[in-house]
Amino acid sequence: MRAKRKHLLTAVETVLLICTGFFLFQVLESNQGGAPSPVREYITENGSRETGALNLVTSIYLGYRAFDTLGETMVLMIAVTGVLFFLVDPGKEGEDDEENRHP
Amino acid sequence: MTKKTGILDLISRKLAPFMLLFGFYLLAYGHASPGGGFQGGVVISSGVILLVVAQGVDAAEKLFPFKMLSKLEAAAFTAFLAAGFAGIALGMGFLGNPMTHVYASAVPRVGMALVLNLIIGIEVGSGISLICLRLFRGA
Repeated sequence: MRAKRKHLLTAVETVLLICTGFFLFQVLESNQGGAPSPVREYITENGSRETGALNLVTSIYLGYRAFDTLGETMVLMIAVTGVLFFLVDPGKEGEDDEENRHP
Repeated sequence: MTKKTGILDLISRKLAPFMLLFGFYLLAYGHASPGGGFQGGVVISSGVILLVVAQGVDAAEKLFPFKMLSKLEAAAFTAFLAAGFAGIALGMGFLGNPMTHVYASAVPRVGMALVLNLIIGIEVGSGISLICLRLFRGA
């Protein structure tokens, strides 16, 4: 029973690996240099000049899409706030209310 | 944390400053080479985590106090908002690039990306360090 399941798992993993390799190969073959689009051409031509950043990724996420990055940092700050809210330190915080303290 | 070998102690002490330095390098050169705010912040916090794992939470918290990190996080977010409003003050819209008014050097407009990278890096680094300090303290 257990051996059968192991064989099945191995077969599934092999098929998955072959499929991944096939599709990855296709993408790499057909898309030499990426798909052309007007936005891409505009950014490769003007991105560094307009934002000053040599790194085009930076010129997008801090230049053209800076508002999106602001939202990202907001999400991160809210996540940190939530985690810190739920991970209250029981031992150290002396000014916590009485019922939260474990003797 | 009862059995700590000398190797772990020494290597973590020597390596952590370089990890922090590499994080700040990623922040400072994120506009010109691979890197940037988020990656640099995570590298910085990995230096803090190395200190926490190897030296203990108390030693790491002595170097990076919890209160200071949380204040740094809030200050970085406020600085991001302030950088956004600087664009409005110069009449360019929210998060506009104020450096387009400066004609000082060959590539004057990169100042905004540099400042935002530094701000984001400090925010991400302090945030992840805060979470990890709290988690390791609880464990």
